[in-house]
Amino acid sequence: MNETKGLIFDIQSHSVHDGPGSRTLIFLKGCPLHCEWCANPEGMEYRQRPLYRVTKCVHVKQKCVRCIEKCPYGAIKSSGEEELPLIIDWDKCEKCTTMDCIKACLNDAFVMCGKYYSVADLMRIFTRDINFWGRNGGVTFSGGEPLAQKEFILEVLKQCKEKYIHTAIETSAYTSREHFLNVFKYIDFAFIDIKHMDSDKHKEKTGVGNERILENITDLIESGWPGRLIIRMPVIEGFNDTDENAIATAEFMKNLGLREMNILPFHRLGESKWRQLGKIYPYKDCEGTTDEVLGRIQDIYLDRDILCYVSSDTPF
Amino acid sequence: MVKKLADILAEKGLDINFQYGGKAPEEMIDREVKKEPFPRVKKLKDQYYATLSSASLEFPYWYTRKYKELEHEIPVVRRAAALKHAFSHINPTIWPGELIVGGKTYHYRGSFPMPWESEGYYMAKEDELYQSALAKGSASSGELSRFGSGGGNVTKSFGKVTSIAGKFGIRSEEVPALIRCAKEWVGKSVDDLGNKYEKMVPEYDIKEKVMRSLICMFDSGFTLPLGREVINYYYPLQYGFGGLIEMCKERKNEVAGRADGDGVTGMDRLYFYDAAIMVLEGIQAWVKNYSKEAARLAAIEEDPQQKKEYEEIAEIMDWISTNQPRTFREALQMTCMIHFAVLNEDAISGMSPGRVGQVLWPWFEQDMEAGRTDEGQVLELLECHRMKFTLIDCFACTGVVGGVLSGNTFNNLSMGGLTKDGRPACNRLEMLIIEAGMTNQTSQPTLSVLYDEKLPEDFLLKAIECNKTGTGYPAWMNNQNAIQFLTKQYGPEGMDLEEARSFAIGGCLETSPCCWKELTLNGKKYNIPGGAGQPTSVGVHFIANPKVLELVLFNGYDYRMKEQLLPPHNKKLETYEELEETFKEYYEMIVDCLTTCNNIQHDIWRKQNMCLFLSILKPDCLDKGQHIGNLGYRYNGTFNVESCGQITQVNSMVAIKKLVYDDKKYTLEELKDALMNNFGFKTAAEVDSFSLAAQEKKDETGKYDEIHSDCLRAPKYGNDDPYADQVLKDYEDWFCPMCTKYESLYGRNLYSCQISVSTHGPQGAATLASADGRLAGTTYADGSMSAYPGTDKSGPYALFTSATCWDHTQSQNSQMNLKLHPNAVKGLEGSKKLLDLTRAYMRRGGFHIQYNVVDSKVLKDAQEKPENYRELLVRVAGFTQYWVEIGKHIQDEVIARTEYEGV
Repeated sequence: MNETKGLIFDIQSHSVHDGPGSRTLIFLKGCPLHCEWCANPEGMEYRQRPLYRVTKCVHVKQKCVRCIEKCPYGAIKSSGEEELPLIIDWDKCEKCTTMDCIKACLNDAFVMCGKYYSVADLMRIFTRDINFWGRNGGVTFSGGEPLAQKEFILEVLKQCKEKYIHTAIETSAYTSREHFLNVFKYIDFAFIDIKHMDSDKHKEKTGVGNERILENITDLIESGWPGRLIIRMPVIEGFNDTDENAIATAEFMKNLGLREMNILPFHRLGESKWRQLGKIYPYKDCEGTTDEVLGRIQDIYLDRDILCYVSSDTPF
Repeated sequence: MVKKLADILAEKGLDINFQYGGKAPEEMIDREVKKEPFPRVKKLKDQYYATLSSASLEFPYWYTRKYKELEHEIPVVRRAAALKHAFSHINPTIWPGELIVGGKTYHYRGSFPMPWESEGYYMAKEDELYQSALAKGSASSGELSRFGSGGGNVTKSFGKVTSIAGKFGIRSEEVPALIRCAKEWVGKSVDDLGNKYEKMVPEYDIKEKVMRSLICMFDSGFTLPLGREVINYYYPLQYGFGGLIEMCKERKNEVAGRADGDGVTGMDRLYFYDAAIMVLEGIQAWVKNYSKEAARLAAIEEDPQQKKEYEEIAEIMDWISTNQPRTFREALQMTCMIHFAVLNEDAISGMSPGRVGQVLWPWFEQDMEAGRTDEGQVLELLECHRMKFTLIDCFACTGVVGGVLSGNTFNNLSMGGLTKDGRPACNRLEMLIIEAGMTNQTSQPTLSVLYDEKLPEDFLLKAIECNKTGTGYPAWMNNQNAIQFLTKQYGPEGMDLEEARSFAIGGCLETSPCCWKELTLNGKKYNIPGGAGQPTSVGVHFIANPKVLELVLFNGYDYRMKEQLLPPHNKKLETYEELEETFKEYYEMIVDCLTTCNNIQHDIWRKQNMCLFLSILKPDCLDKGQHIGNLGYRYNGTFNVESCGQITQVNSMVAIKKLVYDDKKYTLEELKDALMNNFGFKTAAEVDSFSLAAQEKKDETGKYDEIHSDCLRAPKYGNDDPYADQVLKDYEDWFCPMCTKYESLYGRNLYSCQISVSTHGPQGAATLASADGRLAGTTYADGSMSAYPGTDKSGPYALFTSATCWDHTQSQNSQMNLKLHPNAVKGLEGSKKLLDLTRAYMRRGGFHIQYNVVDSKVLKDAQEKPENYRELLVRVAGFTQYWVEIGKHIQDEVIARTEYEGV
């Protein structure tokens, strides 16, 4: 049995909005992009680390000091305020391997983010869940960036195919051409994000340019890959919600013969997770995308003969 | 604005399923479109919302009067005469706009007490009768049970209205008559007489304590001795009441004075037929009185439309008082009258119409073929039918009606399943029944799908669409599981595979034995299903599993009641196996004393208060000339053992196994100390919430924090964790066979029944903290397969895997309640996914699943502002009920259930 292990930060079963049918959704840790609006910021780093969940903390309410006493680095200090009872020096946490705060906490205010799974561990879950997906369901790999843990994802996908499991992926496509095309041999269904058509702007908000992404998509289509590809775009106010960008994306898609776009309205559901990581959410004051904006962008695609689904209103 | 996918595809001329190259799109299921009933039904429904539950004295007055006159008569005839007298004398009421008429009493919504069953509990609280009733152990369930104070419940007296039995209003001036009537039954009721004899059982003392401490929720012999069964409409539908009377007269002549080889009960046949004739005549007169009332109203009505409708009603009621119905409407009306008549004969919950869409199919088919009706008219009638069933109230004590039933009456309508020759049995009429369940969303009748792999996809998707309206019905039952259970349980009484296919659900989810009867209508023959067995969920009623475990830990002593309940076992409980063994010993002791005492209650009931009309209806009483008490029914092995809170008990045993015996992190004494001190928390009653999430700390030292945290973190059922699931499997493999060791008064073995209904609220209130981390007084896990709220952290697939680690066909049922966020089931794709999920659970061998499609935020808001939510329906545990009529324990539990959002 292959001993490659993957670092996973969440597994959700009966996920109904991430590909055809009902699915089991695997969130892999680590991402080469650093999008400022990210809704799963705990998936960015490729390492295990604690999350601090303020609502569970009883430091102020019950004068609990268990974690403060146990931390070997003195990284945890009291603020005395109910809103944010503990102040954590996260820089000190970086070198920590024992995570005594998690062991000390009785209320799950500190929880571990990230767990190692062997390929066999995941396959055990999949062969259980295959009984429940129904005819169209399967597994969806998300993240983080699911392609980042290269060996692991490839091995899991190969085994999925041996077990007749339908595979889907939600990826940024930001990886080497070789790895990308290799992995896609085992993918039936994909969501690929195009966050912006202008590479400079793309780099400004995500940390990387879009060249490799667009090239990978192009190469994939030209390779004759038989799967179904949905392009996705999170609609971010003041970044990619212009007509110009939508038109450029639509043109890019048309040239490749791509017919399906799924635009995702911005939401702030990720905010609490940023806080759990001890970070400030850059988009904390940003409102959700209005129907008006979504409708305007949707029309641009529809006018160009591209099916544009909004949010979870999809035909799968 | 954003365009909906369906619109986009339609504009493009594309199919919703275009990726599969499928056929034309099916109707897009849009739950944003709220369906409305027909205007007349809307009016009747608004009238219902504005009506309080009322008790009337008519029936008990006439019944008692006649019964008193006939002291010299033999019981079966005496009872028949009293029933006839009461039925012929009660006043019919017909409400403007009704197409289907009839009811239990002259009130729009209401019921009446039956002092011949039990007379003490519903007295006004100041009355001595009530006080003496309270002193008995069997009244304890009322103290810890609560009704929702909203809706139509009259939980407090006001003005000239006195509240009785915690739910009904009665005119204050009638109270003295009520008490007078009740006093006639002191020492004579099934309750009183049964109590005289059950005291002769050596283990009666233990039984008393078991009742007082709420280890057992209630006595079954005099509270609701019938029900949780399927009615049979066949005989009146085939022969008419007139034909049945003729038949009984003929049989009477054949059997009079003849024993025919049966030296014990052979002679009883004469009295049975004589009694049957009387009861049928009484019911005939009662139906005719509706005809007369309709004619009277027609004569004075000025609106021509309403006048015409009254005339039609007069004609229909007159015809069906004697003859076989001619049309679908007449047949439907007749089934309603049969239903009300049965409910007036005895105290009943869960008298289920069964597969009524298949029973009424002959009339529907022939009316449609002849063009006598259309689907619109049928739908309107079915909406009226729902209204009538929702108006049924059940009169029993607070503990039973509030604590167990949450005010619901569990008239379960089953659909689907297989025909006698194994084909899918669903039909077009059942599609309309589901539609009526959506257009007229009410609590009754609740619907069940008898899920079989053979059922067609469009029918199943229609049922799923109904789930998505949030009403909670239909529930999904596993047809093949039920067939296996039935052939095993009733094989010794002659049930074969074909007969097992006739089954339906009686009550909330009790698999009930039924049979086929050949019905002839206008020369065409049909096989129709109907009930053929005694009531189920009688016998040992709701044992509080976590409370039994508590007694094991505390050597039989109940710290809430401050008394030694069970004989001390005096064991040190040094190993997990010893703990498990002691649990089984205590459990069996409890089942044993409850079985013997309840057998006596039921025996008194069958001797003094046997049902006659229901006996006439069910095969094979009419053929044999024997009523229910003389084993006239085809299937009699229906008594069962009901458990409650088994997942809380299983999780507690898992935690003890892990923390005390395997890891040895705590001693048993340390754990018991923590449980006694409620892990340092206030009691649930103090904080007035019964869900774990709302509990408050009392102890500031944090002494129990660590052990509480460890208990909460111990492995839990519902996560596909073999450590926890093995404890469940071991429990089931012991429990199901254990039940069959006990015998009912009918000489048949008991069996396992695993539903909690609403008892997990009051029984939780009587239980200390448990080792799974649950705090004192809080509600148990609901159902029998639902995870404890918030502990199923690995999603529904893991939960289903845990739930199916044992063989559900060993039990009459099991129960899984799942709460889904509306977002998880949106659109046609959402429907298909929900069906896939349901199908997957059934294929793995799960017996039952039902869904609450509701946003928890809505429920919380509804708890705060009940006045805005009069129409909100939720699924509790086997039934749908108006939110405002549910007690707080259960409201809290429903809110706390894990919600699957499927984001």
